[in-house]
Amino acid sequence: MTNPYSSGSPGIPDSSMPTGASGLMPRRSSYASVVSGTASAISHQYQQPTRSGAFSHLLNQPPDFTYDPSFHNTTGHSRYDSRGYEMDSNTNGVAHGRSGSWGRAGQLPAHSSAFGSLANGYGYGGSGGGPTDYFFVPSYLKGSKYVQKLEEAHKAKALASRDGSSAQSSQTGSLSTSTSSINLHAKVPASHRGMTYDLIEKAPPAEDDAVAPLPSKWNSHDKHGGLEVLADGQEVKFTGSKSVADRDHEACSIRADHPMPPQCGIYYFEVTIISRKREESSIGIGFSGKNVVLTRLPGWEPDSWAYHGDDGNSFCCQSSGKSYGPRFTAGDIIGCGVNFRTGSAFFTKNGVHLGTAFREIKGKLFPSVGMKKQGEHIKVNFGQSPFVFDIDGMMANEKMQIQQRIEATSAAKLAPPLNETELIQSLVLQFLSHDGYIETARAFAEEIRSEKKALSMDPNAVVNGFDVREDEDAGHRQRIRTAILDGDIEKALEYTNTYYPNVLKDNEHVYFRLRVRRFIEMIRQGAEMQNPSTTNGSKKSNGRGGDWYDDGVNQEMELDDHQSQSNNWDKMDTEESPANQMEYQKLLQETINYGRDLQAEFADDPRREVSKALSDAFSLMAYQDPLNAKEVSHLLDPR
Amino acid sequence: MTSSAASTTTPLRHAFESRVDEVKPMKSDINALILDYLTTEGYSSAAASLSKEANLRPTQEEESIKARQQIQHSIHSGSIQEAIEALNELEPQVLDTDPSLHFALLRLQLVELIRTCNATPGSDITPALTFATTELAPRAPTNPEFLEDLERTMALLVFPADNLEPQLAAILHPDLRRSVADRVNKAILTCQNQRRDAAIRNLVRLRAWAENTARENKIDLPARIGLGLDADENDDIQDNGLEPMIT
Repeated sequence: MTNPYSSGSPGIPDSSMPTGASGLMPRRSSYASVVSGTASAISHQYQQPTRSGAFSHLLNQPPDFTYDPSFHNTTGHSRYDSRGYEMDSNTNGVAHGRSGSWGRAGQLPAHSSAFGSLANGYGYGGSGGGPTDYFFVPSYLKGSKYVQKLEEAHKAKALASRDGSSAQSSQTGSLSTSTSSINLHAKVPASHRGMTYDLIEKAPPAEDDAVAPLPSKWNSHDKHGGLEVLADGQEVKFTGSKSVADRDHEACSIRADHPMPPQCGIYYFEVTIISRKREESSIGIGFSGKNVVLTRLPGWEPDSWAYHGDDGNSFCCQSSGKSYGPRFTAGDIIGCGVNFRTGSAFFTKNGVHLGTAFREIKGKLFPSVGMKKQGEHIKVNFGQSPFVFDIDGMMANEKMQIQQRIEATSAAKLAPPLNETELIQSLVLQFLSHDGYIETARAFAEEIRSEKKALSMDPNAVVNGFDVREDEDAGHRQRIRTAILDGDIEKALEYTNTYYPNVLKDNEHVYFRLRVRRFIEMIRQGAEMQNPSTTNGSKKSNGRGGDWYDDGVNQEMELDDHQSQSNNWDKMDTEESPANQMEYQKLLQETINYGRDLQAEFADDPRREVSKALSDAFSLMAYQDPLNAKEVSHLLDPR
Repeated sequence: MTSSAASTTTPLRHAFESRVDEVKPMKSDINALILDYLTTEGYSSAAASLSKEANLRPTQEEESIKARQQIQHSIHSGSIQEAIEALNELEPQVLDTDPSLHFALLRLQLVELIRTCNATPGSDITPALTFATTELAPRAPTNPEFLEDLERTMALLVFPADNLEPQLAAILHPDLRRSVADRVNKAILTCQNQRRDAAIRNLVRLRAWAENTARENKIDLPARIGLGLDADENDDIQDNGLEPMIT
């Protein structure tokens, strides 16, 4: 169950309204939000990870963003945005620092079980653990649903590390390590590396359900022996012996740690050719399946595709290439992109798109490079730093195309014979009347009717408006809810039994809560008789929706497909009966009797929360003035 | 991706439906979405009432929604002159900066004049002709589409109204009023730096597109996915229209 306070608070509807300030923000804040998100994940934020934004991205779009044909403008922005990365990488480092502390915690045996249970809960396999498993978002994936899921999984993991390693991972601690973590990332000392990979090796394999992680580095366990992995998995160097290199058509290849996740839509990475000893380079850049041999350049073997530097040819699962692009040598930056929607791949050289290289690409594919010559050395960018090619623009273009396709989709077939406008009108009207916004439903129906009348060419035509029949349920639920909030539980029980005879039977704990609440109300009534001066104080306005009890009831009724009207009721002050002793005694007796019944009915209930609620409620009896006894007064608080 | 929850549900239920069940829209989101719709499309009194009933902060002044609604209403009922005047008072620059919209309004005005002529047999067509020559003819040469629209509209004067080819009949259909009214509404919103389209329209189209695309790609879906409208003759209305929401 969600926390009733945070979900019912007025702040949330506000946040999804297109206010001026937030309307300008939505696309740019990825890095910042990573940080703020991770920071607050520690305390409470995680319970509601970005839920409030389900529609708010739609509502908060800057005017015309999606439909504006001048998307180049947008592209310009995102390019600019990714140039600002240098500054952002600082914040990224904080995230790094946090997972750094996880890495340490990962070595504690006690921790692994805690993490395991959470990992199952969130379906994240966490296969890429270790100090270098910091969180990054490639610029072109910012704001995507996939990244959102990755972030959630990452937060879950970070949270697990918090829970698991209480002592060493206070927030300040991880913040202070952040600077060193950045340095680690940039230039990792060799001694540090061995440990990293051990950790990876032991990490459990990702479940099918898990959010597929992004490739983040070369996998030193999935390489040919002639290659050495440097710089924290970002660089690969050919150090093999001459005999290996001399054999013609033989080569050394390496794959990345994770396959390219199709959820990206487009996956893109860039490889910089750092150095090469001889004139003719023989580097192949592309991707391959897990079982492709590593003694051949990618592209030569089935299930592998690549672009080779020595001839500029593209190789699609066979030893003979097709003329594709220019050759590439030292200093060039070669990009490789896979469009999973169309199943095609392309390459870029120094930021220039070279056209589609392959089509009908299928399978679980890992970024891969292969090389043949001593001293050849490449560095990869899996999205940790800005790309040379304008992949952001390409992504924006792709998104715009899909957006246009969505725009062009006719909604007429969804619910024939209704056209889009009529369909939306019916949907909205139905929502309004089901949810008890009767006044709004009436006003809306009237406005639709007048619109239809205006549009009708024949002034005498009978216009069939929508009928708004008062949803009886809505009225009933509203009455029940009001009764509960007024503290008149007896009435609420009666209404509930009349209107929804099965609800209380089927939801026994709701019934129980109502009964306990009734008991508490009786005690309060008694207490208020004895102590009229506190009456006003305890009956403050009830503006926030619901305490433990009535929230439970509302939830249940809604689970039963009955939405309650919410939020704007006014608490009616119940009339106080004159506080005379006779009546108090009578009430006290009733209260005790009621308590006995309650006790008898639920005393044998094995559930812990039931006995706890009972003993809490009965403890009220012990206090002379329960309204002012701080141990129990919260039970009497109308909130 | 197979949902892990799928295995625990009864085999009769499609995995898709259990995944749908896992999505719990927040009521505050829906309320905001509806308010956005009512506001954007100019249902001023419903918007005002909803902000009261659901305790939401209005996103626009009721007056401003009402002004747009009034203009739309004028167009819907064929009083184009009235609409143009009101529009010029509300946002004078809209028509100046958008000649195409201005032309569409004037053309609609001509259609309404012709409609009046057609409605009363033997009536004078001079007002329509005068209007066409003075207002529309000078603008038509600036854009080939304008010219075509104008010519087609003038053809209404020639052919009998009760036997028109579909293309011409469409001009007389109320949908033209609605579409011009929508364009005017969007132009005003753009001018006021508001979003042009209600988010729910995108959602509805997205819904249609997503289902089409998924089916084209042979993704396993239930044969029919209901919208949860009351009118749906659908056994699982309970499942669709009234999903539990977290308030």
